[in-house]
Amino acid sequence: MLGLRRALLVLFALGILFAGLDVALVLSSNHEDQKVATAILGPLIGLSFIGTGVFAWWRRPLNRFGLLMTGVGFAWFLAGLADSNNATVFTLGSYVAPLYLVIVIQMVLAFPSGRLETLGQRVVIATAYLDALLVRLPFFLLGGDISNGASGRTPDNVFAITDAPDLAEVFDYTSMFVAVVVLIASLVLLVRKRNAATQPQRRALAPMLWTGFALVAFLGLAFLFDVLGLPNEMADVASLLALVAFAVLPFAFLAGLVRSRYSRAGAVGELIERLNNPEADRSLGLALADALGDRSLKLVYWRPSAGHYVTYDGRAVQLPAPGSGRAVTEVEREGIRVGAIIHDASLADEPDLVRAVAASAALALENERLEAELRARLDELQTSRSRLVEVSMFERRRLERDLHDGAQQRLVALSLQLGLAQRRLQDGDDRSAGALLDAARDELGRALEELRELARGIHPAVLTDRGLEAAIEALAERAALPVSLGEMPAERLPPPVEAAAYFVVAEALTNVTKYARASQAEVRIARNGGYAVVEVHDDGVGGADPATGTGLRGLADRLAALDGRLEVHSPPGEGTTVRAEVPCG
Amino acid sequence: MRVVLADDSLLLREGVARLLEEAGLDVVAQAGDGEDLLRKVGAHKPDVAIVDVRMPPTHTDEGLRAAAEIRDKHPDTGVLVLSQYIEEAYAMELLSSNAEGVGYLLKDRVADLERFIDAVRRVGEGGSALDPEVVSRLLGRRRQEDPLAEISPREREVLALMAEGRSNHAIATELVVTERAVEKHVTSIFNKLNLPPTVDDHRRVLAVLTYLKA
Repeated sequence: MLGLRRALLVLFALGILFAGLDVALVLSSNHEDQKVATAILGPLIGLSFIGTGVFAWWRRPLNRFGLLMTGVGFAWFLAGLADSNNATVFTLGSYVAPLYLVIVIQMVLAFPSGRLETLGQRVVIATAYLDALLVRLPFFLLGGDISNGASGRTPDNVFAITDAPDLAEVFDYTSMFVAVVVLIASLVLLVRKRNAATQPQRRALAPMLWTGFALVAFLGLAFLFDVLGLPNEMADVASLLALVAFAVLPFAFLAGLVRSRYSRAGAVGELIERLNNPEADRSLGLALADALGDRSLKLVYWRPSAGHYVTYDGRAVQLPAPGSGRAVTEVEREGIRVGAIIHDASLADEPDLVRAVAASAALALENERLEAELRARLDELQTSRSRLVEVSMFERRRLERDLHDGAQQRLVALSLQLGLAQRRLQDGDDRSAGALLDAARDELGRALEELRELARGIHPAVLTDRGLEAAIEALAERAALPVSLGEMPAERLPPPVEAAAYFVVAEALTNVTKYARASQAEVRIARNGGYAVVEVHDDGVGGADPATGTGLRGLADRLAALDGRLEVHSPPGEGTTVRAEVPCG
Repeated sequence: MRVVLADDSLLLREGVARLLEEAGLDVVAQAGDGEDLLRKVGAHKPDVAIVDVRMPPTHTDEGLRAAAEIRDKHPDTGVLVLSQYIEEAYAMELLSSNAEGVGYLLKDRVADLERFIDAVRRVGEGGSALDPEVVSRLLGRRRQEDPLAEISPREREVLALMAEGRSNHAIATELVVTERAVEKHVTSIFNKLNLPPTVDDHRRVLAVLTYLKA
């Protein structure tokens, strides 16, 4: 940074040196008609460009705008070489004289980024350079009149290799005609630039754009009058007005800076007032949008429990990607993230301002964040509740099906066998009646067995009577693979927590048997702080996705109803860990 | 009498087949789902098809849909639908257009061998068999200005048996009265309910059901 600063100071010193040389040239010139005016105004105009350019360069080293503005200043001094009495210096000065106009148009079109952003801009500026340096060259080579209407005797045109003034004039006209086209195109591009700008951009752009517009318009008129052969006075007036606009440009740039700065600084004060006034409009987003002059501004709120941002309605949002034209400023309160402001990327040029606005709104944002959090939770609660209803419907259907296909079917068969046996008894066939009764008793046994299984699926009695450890032991014994039990809670947990933990283990073990292709599983249940932490780990193939399948999602909903949560960690090839956390109240 | 039997539970199918065989009926084929049933009914043209409501693949009302198709394509084959639940809607769906050769019984009825066989035979012969449970629910419905209130308890019994699809003879046996007495009750019931007198057993089932359903 220090290197740049020194270099820029040297550059400015160089500018002063040039200004001095310029004054010397003007004062010694034997063909300058307006010696006093030129000697005073020339250096001032050049230095105002160089000074402002160096300041802009120092402020934003990566932005090429400062470079362009400084360039305009030096090109302006180069044009001053035409005041020299030395023929070579005079001719060179006359030749490069229009260059500062080309650079200044480039600067206006490239404002504020310093880069020509559209193809149209690049084509227009490239044409301007070609026109100034190439199309005008034959005019010099053919011995054109470069005295530029000076009353005194000007030095000779040293570039002339032949004397064909009439042919030279053709190139002079061509060059002026191209200049008119370039200037008209530039006007169109300036209008487009203005229309494409966002609101906060416009505020900063306006002084520069309007002055640039005036400059280009008067310049265009001056050339046009010349091309059309209208009286010289008209072209002179237009040229003078263009010169005024040109001279104003650096100040217009500074005005743009001040305007965006000061109007925003005032806005921060207004914002604070508005936030402290209970009767004012309550929308924080709107207040911030006004303060920063960005109508497209959006507020998002941080939800620590979910780890993402939500809107005021509680819906999750994605932050805009860099380069999308939107930028994000995070808002913290007492070191804790409360939200973020999504705003126009141009505001990122004023990070201090955005932060100042954000800081003054942090408390209000924190309040709104809490509301958004509440809404988001309510929303989740609703979906989880409706999913719970769905799950319970699903479970009822499954239960009905199990009853229908199992115990009920067996009982019908049983009653049929009893009917047959009764008939045998009536017929006096005791032996086959006995065989039928044996079969009926077996059938009854199986029906009871099925009912028992079913009842356990609804709610295992052992869980109520003996607690979690005994119930989990029973699950482990019945599992189709070896299940080892780790830590278990020493004391009883609240019944809903025990039931939730039991079903997590039951569902997880069912899934292990069905999908994991595991050789063993491990279950542990620990109390950790106010939570019961249930973990079921297997050494199977992994790759389980809790989003698919009703079993795990149903469990997640059940847990959510208890304010708990379910995590499934299942990298492919590394087994699956199902982990549930349930607050113990 | 030739029977095709459809139920996805092999256990029950075998049990019912055995029972039917013992009663002297001829079980010509068994099926495990609706499609299989339709194929076998088409092939064997039985007198009666006994069909479980719930069968694969959807385990919802395959049996009912198969029954409707059998009635449509093979009008000479009676259909007796068995169900583990009583759903009046199912019963009405089956019997509403034509009660001839149609039956709807609770599955448990298979245990009462005589009555079950009687129902199978009745459906096979073009009569009807409606589960007493359905009938009693229909009779038990609350109605405004209920003409059923005027019916005597005995007449109510006769009406119920009539709705089940029993013939006068069967009703007489069941209630241990003469057929003549049953006829008298029937005429009286029809008068009280403002129904046109019908001699035909099958038609009068429909008339009674239509009345009860309304």
